[in-house]
Amino acid sequence: MKEKEFTPLQAPPLFVLFVGSVFVVGFLVLAIALFRIQVRDVAEFTESQVKQTFRSMQVPGLRGRILDRNGVALADLRPSHDIVCNLEEFHSGSDSNKISAIEKSIESLEKVLKKESTLTRKQIVRHYHQSRAIPLVVFRNVDDEIFARFVENAYNFPAFSESVKAERVYPYGSLASHLIGYTGRDRPDSGNEFFHYYEKELKGRSGLELFYNGYLSGVTGVRNIRVDARGFKPSKAKRDLMNGDVEYREASAGPDLSLTIDLNLQKVVERELNGLTGAAVVMDPRNGEILAMVSAPSYDLNDFVPFLSMEKFERYSNDPAKPLLNRAITGTYAPGSIFKPITALAGLKHGYPADKTYDCKGIFVLGNLRLHCWDRYGHGEVGLHDAIKTSCNSFFCNLGRVVGTNDLIAAAKSFGLGKKTGIDLPGEAAGVVPDGTWKMDHWDEPWYPGDTCQMSIGQGMLLITPLQMAVMVSALANRGKIYKPYLHKKTDASQIECVSTLPFSQEHLEIVRSGMRAVVEEGTGRRVLMRYPDQSVVGADRKKRFLLKVNCAAKTGTAEIGRGVTRRKNTWVVAFAPYDNPTIALAMLVERGDSGGKTVAPKVHNILSSIFGEDEYRLMRNGELQKAGEEE
Amino acid sequence: MKNLLSKLKKLDYIMFACVIALIVMGVVFVKSAGSARASLALQNLWQGHAMAATLGVFLYLFLSVIDYRKLLFWTAKPFYIISLVMLVAVLIVGTDRFGGRRWLWFFQPSEVAKLAVIMVVAQIFSRIVTPLKNRMKFDDAKLVQFEGFKAFAAGMALLGIPAFLILCEPDLGTTLVLIPAVIMMILASRLCTHWIIGMCLIGVISAGLVIGTVWTAENSTPEKRDAIYAKLPLKNHQIKRLRVFISPEADIHGVGYNLRQSIISIGSGSLKGKGIGKGEQKALGYLPPAVSLNDFIFAVLAEEVGFMGSLAMLLLFAVLLLRGLKAAFVCDDPKGRLLAVGIVTLIFCHVYVNVAMNIGLMPITGLPLPFISAGRTFLIVVLVALGMLQSVAVHGRKIKTKSLTEIE
Repeated sequence: MKEKEFTPLQAPPLFVLFVGSVFVVGFLVLAIALFRIQVRDVAEFTESQVKQTFRSMQVPGLRGRILDRNGVALADLRPSHDIVCNLEEFHSGSDSNKISAIEKSIESLEKVLKKESTLTRKQIVRHYHQSRAIPLVVFRNVDDEIFARFVENAYNFPAFSESVKAERVYPYGSLASHLIGYTGRDRPDSGNEFFHYYEKELKGRSGLELFYNGYLSGVTGVRNIRVDARGFKPSKAKRDLMNGDVEYREASAGPDLSLTIDLNLQKVVERELNGLTGAAVVMDPRNGEILAMVSAPSYDLNDFVPFLSMEKFERYSNDPAKPLLNRAITGTYAPGSIFKPITALAGLKHGYPADKTYDCKGIFVLGNLRLHCWDRYGHGEVGLHDAIKTSCNSFFCNLGRVVGTNDLIAAAKSFGLGKKTGIDLPGEAAGVVPDGTWKMDHWDEPWYPGDTCQMSIGQGMLLITPLQMAVMVSALANRGKIYKPYLHKKTDASQIECVSTLPFSQEHLEIVRSGMRAVVEEGTGRRVLMRYPDQSVVGADRKKRFLLKVNCAAKTGTAEIGRGVTRRKNTWVVAFAPYDNPTIALAMLVERGDSGGKTVAPKVHNILSSIFGEDEYRLMRNGELQKAGEEE
Repeated sequence: MKNLLSKLKKLDYIMFACVIALIVMGVVFVKSAGSARASLALQNLWQGHAMAATLGVFLYLFLSVIDYRKLLFWTAKPFYIISLVMLVAVLIVGTDRFGGRRWLWFFQPSEVAKLAVIMVVAQIFSRIVTPLKNRMKFDDAKLVQFEGFKAFAAGMALLGIPAFLILCEPDLGTTLVLIPAVIMMILASRLCTHWIIGMCLIGVISAGLVIGTVWTAENSTPEKRDAIYAKLPLKNHQIKRLRVFISPEADIHGVGYNLRQSIISIGSGSLKGKGIGKGEQKALGYLPPAVSLNDFIFAVLAEEVGFMGSLAMLLLFAVLLLRGLKAAFVCDDPKGRLLAVGIVTLIFCHVYVNVAMNIGLMPITGLPLPFISAGRTFLIVVLVALGMLQSVAVHGRKIKTKSLTEIE
C-alpha cells in the first residue's frame, strides 16, 4: 500500500505515540467520569433534579355524599367555578414590574366582568412571593352570568383561566340540617408527609359532617407541579417541550354516607313542627335506627355555602330560638309526665301491687310540699293502670315516696338517663338524674323527700334530652331492650348494639304498656289515636273522626318550668306503634305548648297516620263510631 | 483543474466526515439550547450558527486544497501582527461582556490570535529546524544548546506577547489552551526539549502548589482560610472557582451553582437521554441561560442525548484528532508537522477542558466547546484550523523539500 512509499524522515514516533496516548487517556478520563455521572450515579442526580424541579401539592379527594335510607341525596356536590390568574404567563422583567402587570390585568378583567375582585395588592404580593407555582384565585365561586362573560372574553385574557372545585349543595335546604351539619374549608390532614402547597378541602364543622369527617373526606392525592428555576410553572409554550407529565398520586373520593333517615318521614315530622320550637325523634325500636330527627326552628344549609355571610351569621346567632341548636340531642328538658312509666316500673319492681289503689284528692301533701294534681277535683281511687291512663300526679308522688329515692334513681338510670346515648352525632348532652350528692354540689341543699316525689312525676331537677326519651319509649316498645341509637345505616345486623336490658320483668312491662295503650284509647292521649275536626269546621263534617289504622300506645307529658311571668310548659308525647310488635317509637317535644294531649298528640297522630294510614269514622248519635262507607 | 481533482481525492474523508457530523450536532444543540430563551434573537441563533458553519466549510475545503507551505509563508507573519494589533485594540475599544473585554465589534480577537500564534510558531520554527539539523552534524554541542535556547526564547516571546494581552482582557481559558498547544509544537520540533520539560515541571509544580494551598485553606478554620486567600496572587473570582473545584458542595447557590446544575443536567440525562430538545434543566432555567449556549452547552447535550450521545461526541472528536495526529506523523516536512500538532493539541485542549469543567474535573474557565458552543468567530476559526490540518494531510506527503532529501 501507500505505507511503502512513506519514509519516516525525522518523524519522531515516540513523540507521536506520546501525544496520541495523551489524547486517548484524556478522552478515556472524560468517558469514565461521564459513565460515573450518567450511568453509575444516575439515580442520585435524577433525584436531585426531580427534587428541585417539582413542588408537591396536596389535592383533597371529593367528599362523599350523604344519602337517606333509600339513597336520596341530602347533601350532594356541585361544581363551583373560580377564575384564576396564572402568574407564569407574565414575562415583563422584574418582580415589581410583574406584580403591577398582574394588577393591571386584574383591573381590566374586573371591568369586563363588571365585578370587583376582593383581592388586595398585599394578597397579590404575598401570593407572588410564596405560592407562585399555583394559580392566584381572583374571583371565587362566580355565578353563571359572570362565568359566561369570562368565557366570551377569554381570548383577551390569556393569563386567566377557570378552575373548578366541588362545593356542597343541599337539595332540600333546611331539611335535616341539624343532622347533616355544615362544612367549612380547611387544610387537609397531611400526616407526616410534606407538601409545598395544598388545596383547601371541605371539612365538617357540625353534625354528621363533623362526626363522619374522616369517613366522608376520602384520601388526598398529590400533584407534582413542575417549576422553573424561579419557582414559576413553565408557561404554556415551554410545557410542550417537556418529557411526559408530572408524577401523580390520584386523590380518591370519599364514600357516600347512607343514613337511617327516611326522607319522607323526616319531611312529615318537620312539617308538623314548622313554626314551633321543639324537637322530635322517631326511632325503630327493633334496632335503634333513627328514622327521623327534627329540631325546630331550623336553618338553611345552603346559607353556609361557600361560607356564612356576616349578616346571616348575626341573624342566626341573635335569634332567641337558637336555630343552630340541635334540640333533639343537645337540648335538656324536664320530662314531666312521660317519666311516669319509669316510676311505675320502679314501683312494680319494688313490690307495689298493680291493683292497689290510692285516693287522689287533687292535691298531694308531704310536709311543706303541696303538689296539685292536674285535675283539681282529684281522680278519686285510682290503681296503677288508671293512674298511667289519667296521668295522676298524686298517685305517682305517693308511689315515688313508697319506692324510695335510690330505687327510683336506679330505674331512671337503667333507661340510660343521665348519660349520653352514644348516637353518632357530636355535642350530645347527657342530661341529669339528680341524687343527694348532685344536689349538694349544685344547689348546696340536702335531698328532701319532696325531691323524690318531684322526680317521680318527672319534675324537679331531672333533665333529659328528646333522644333519651325516644330510647326510653323504644325500650318499652320492644319489651326491655336499650339499643344504641344510630344514624349511619349498618350493613350487617350483627353490628346493631344492644346496650343493656331493662331490669324489669316482662309481666311488669306489660302492665305499663297496657297503661300506655289506655292513654290513647281513653286517657290523656286520645288525640294520638283519633283526629278530631278543627275548630273551624262546621256542619256535618264536625262529626267526622279519623282513627289510626294501627294500635298504638303513648304517654303525654306537660312539664312546668319557671314561676310567675316566665312560667311556661314544655309539652311532650312519647308513643310507639303498632302495639304488639312495634316498628315505630317516637318522642316529641313542643316548647311553650298548652298540654301534651292537646298540643303534641295531634301532631303525633299525623306522623303515625303518614306511616300507617288512618280510617275515616263518623260519630253516631249514640256516641258510637261507625266506619265511613259502612253506614246503613 | 486536474490537480485540484487529485487533491480532492487525497482529502482525509474520515476527518471531513467527523467535521460535518460535529457541525450538525452543533447546529442541533444551539437550536435546542436557544429554544429555552425568551428572546427571538437567541431562539434563532442556530440559523446564524448554521450560516457560519456553511461559510466555515467552504473555507475548510478552500484551505485544504491550498498548500499550507505557501499559505504560511505569505500569511503567518502578517496575520500574527494583525492579531496582535487587534488584541491591543480590543483592550482599548472593545466591548465588555460577561466580565471581560473580549469583543471587537462582532468577533473575539483572542480566538483568532490562537490560530495566528500556532501559524507563526510553525512558520518560524520550521525555518530554524532545517539549518540547525544540518549544523548539528558538524558543530559542537554548546552551539546546539545555545541555538536551542534561542529557539526556546523565540517561542516564548511569540507565545508570551499575545498570551499576556489575552490575560489582560482577562481570558484565562484561552491562554490555558494556547500554552499547551505551543509547548507541544516546540516539543515536536525537538529543538529545546530540556527547556520545555523544565518549564512544564515548574508549571505543574506551581499549579500543584496553588491547588494544595486552596485545599489546605478549605480544610482549616475560616479566619485562617481568609488569611491564606489574601496572600494568594489570584483574583477573587478565580479563588472562588478554585474553591468550588476543591469542594463542590460548599457553595451550590453561589459560584458553585453552575457546576452543580451542570452535573445534575448531565447525570439526569442517564444512559439514553431525554430526547433532543426535551432537556428540562435548560428549559426551566436551572442551567443558567447565560451559559447554556456557550460554556455549558455540553450539559444540554449530555442531558438530551445521554451517556451514549456524549460518548459519540467524544468519539467523533477522538477520531478527528487522531486522524490529524496521523497526518502530522506521516507528514514529511517540519512545517506541516508543527502546524498539525499545534492545531490538534489546541482542539484537544478545548474539548478536554470544556467537558472536564462541565463535570467538575477541572476548575471553571470560560472555554467554548468546538463546533457545539454557539460562537461564530470560534466556529470559523476552528474550521479554518481544521482546513489547514486537512491541507497538511493532503500536501504533506507528496512534496518533499530539497533540504530533507539532501540529508537523506
